[in-house]
Amino acid sequence: MRNLTSPLFAAGLAFFLLVVVAEFEPGAAPMVVGQAILQEAPETTGTANIVTAVVLGYRGIDTLGEIAILFTASLVAGLVLERRGGKRQAQAPAGNVLRISTQLLFPLMLVIGFYIILHGHLTPGGGFQGGVILAAAFFLPLLARPGIQVRHFGLAVTEGLAGSAFIVIGLIALFQGGAFLQPLFGTGSPGQLLSAGSLPILYLVLGLKVGAELAGLLAHLVYEGSET
Amino acid sequence: MNLIALVVALPLLGAFLLPVGARSVGWVGRLLGPALLLLTSLVVIVLWRDSGGVPSHIELGGFQPPLGITFYLDQLALVFALATSLLALLLWPHAAWRDARVAALMLLMVSAASGMALSGDLFNLYVFYELVSVASFGLVAAPKTGAALAATLRYVIISGMGTVMALTGIALIYTQTGTLNLAHLTLLSATTLDNTLGLTAFVLILLGIGVKAELFPVNIWVPEVYATASQRVSALLAGLISKLAIIVIIRLLVLLFPQPEALTLLLVIGALGVLLGELAAWHAKDFERMLAFSSIGQLGLVLMAFSIPGQAGLFAGLAVAMHHLIVKPALFVLAERWSGGFAGLAGAGWKSPWAAGLFILFALSLIGVPPLPGFWAKLMTLLGLLGQDNWIYWTGAGIILLATVFEANYLFRFGLGLFKAGSESRSAKVPVHDAGSLGPSLILGAVLLIATVMITPVGNWLAGVADQLADRELYVTTVLGAGRELP
Repeated sequence: MRNLTSPLFAAGLAFFLLVVVAEFEPGAAPMVVGQAILQEAPETTGTANIVTAVVLGYRGIDTLGEIAILFTASLVAGLVLERRGGKRQAQAPAGNVLRISTQLLFPLMLVIGFYIILHGHLTPGGGFQGGVILAAAFFLPLLARPGIQVRHFGLAVTEGLAGSAFIVIGLIALFQGGAFLQPLFGTGSPGQLLSAGSLPILYLVLGLKVGAELAGLLAHLVYEGSET
Repeated sequence: MNLIALVVALPLLGAFLLPVGARSVGWVGRLLGPALLLLTSLVVIVLWRDSGGVPSHIELGGFQPPLGITFYLDQLALVFALATSLLALLLWPHAAWRDARVAALMLLMVSAASGMALSGDLFNLYVFYELVSVASFGLVAAPKTGAALAATLRYVIISGMGTVMALTGIALIYTQTGTLNLAHLTLLSATTLDNTLGLTAFVLILLGIGVKAELFPVNIWVPEVYATASQRVSALLAGLISKLAIIVIIRLLVLLFPQPEALTLLLVIGALGVLLGELAAWHAKDFERMLAFSSIGQLGLVLMAFSIPGQAGLFAGLAVAMHHLIVKPALFVLAERWSGGFAGLAGAGWKSPWAAGLFILFALSLIGVPPLPGFWAKLMTLLGLLGQDNWIYWTGAGIILLATVFEANYLFRFGLGLFKAGSESRSAKVPVHDAGSLGPSLILGAVLLIATVMITPVGNWLAGVADQLADRELYVTTVLGAGRELP
């Protein structure tokens, strides 16, 4: 049964992809909603970076869903990879060059990460991108000094509180008579650091959450992967 | 102020806080989840009462559709949002899972499942679908036995392929229309999606989301996962999540894809599911796998019912789906104590007569014995299929009848095995059901019996729900308003 289904399924899928290739006209996609958002976004949300207006404003609930997916993935990885007792094998420490350069890099990466997050409403970048840089900053010492302990509880507190803050900001808007996740505090003047209302705050908690989650995920993989 | 967003937001908030909160304060992990589910159920009930059955919508973030994302609240969406909260509450794993992370996964799945019922945006539906998938990976892997992890791995791979296919379908639709709002898409569908490319997009979405709906041929993960996961998780996946996937597919079919070929495809895929599912269930050697295969068959039946054109098909499909939503979780809860091969269960009915009685009640309804609701659902499907002037539909009706024979045979065989004479001594090892393991099944059994008695009002109400589901005009005017200028 199974041996028959797989090739049949693959053949069917190939057929449909061929149909797509034959019928599809590249470059002719209509920009119905896209064009409308491009026109009105700076005025309605006050962001100079339109991508941010879409990610946190127009499609804010999608973003909430995406960080929930990331959170779930990290939770599941922790659940499945959790050690059942036994100690991690000791690894040789890294050389001086590696250790000292990670120490030098750490503050720089923090600064860059937070800069990218806090300017997400002005320039390309934002919570997801900056969060990844934050995660990398915390992950570097782990690679250079394999012996150090990861404070999983600290990471869990950060991601839990940051995720809750995102939802609470959305709920405040709801209980003030607006809609869930409606931007607060007006728009300000686009292009200023303090503009776009509550969107930069959302990006900050999003960045912290993404950073904490990825750092936790990577730490799980490093520790459990080296076990056997 | 419309509070429906709370149904999605509160469980998410709970899930974010649970892993940390439970470590600091012990009772948080046990009580937070059920308390939140109770609250969301109340929110839905109050909203439902206030709506008076008239559909409405909310604009998330306060952006007008089609630019922003909307939730559409018709009776179908509300009944499934309510069913999600109530079933999760009923099947909440109080004793078995001490791990707060598993409770958090449950809440994440509930939040996303409610989102799937409510969302009126194509990509937003995908996000919630993906969240349901990832949360369910964790839930089915939670027992962490070798078999569970192996089954989960296969499930992850097939699900991953499914989400890619669904995303491809959604991307295709977006390239053809330039919008993602379902109401806006409904307006544009006649000119942009009524072609081969539109049909291809539908097939990709059907098979992609169909992974969770246990559709042939993307259902090969089902038996192993249901046999190895915790029974309550299997109950939720087979009872609730599969129905939500079907509802999303049908909503898209009604609004976006008017092609008759789409209906024929549903019929063929459904018929194959019925036939192969029931035959495999007939061959199954243990209780959970039998239920898993039977669930594949029942979902095939749901799909066949929905393939009947017009309001009659939607009515029949909803009836079969709601029936299975009640019956299958109850049976999986019975399997908590009756796990494993048939041989070990011989005579188990003597020790747990209530459980055996409930099994027989649900089995009779599944087979379709009057006057139980399962009979009316199956009858409507058969009459609908036979009413079409087309040999494919008649063949479908024949397949249902044939499959029912097998279904009756294996369910009776199992039921009789429970009361095998002279096997009391061997059944000494079989665990006896107690109040905790019977409770959810008893409640669902009571619901089934109430529906049996009140079959006329229930049927009328369901017909009204089907009317709303079929009404494309209503959807468009509710979300976009009449005569508003659109981009």
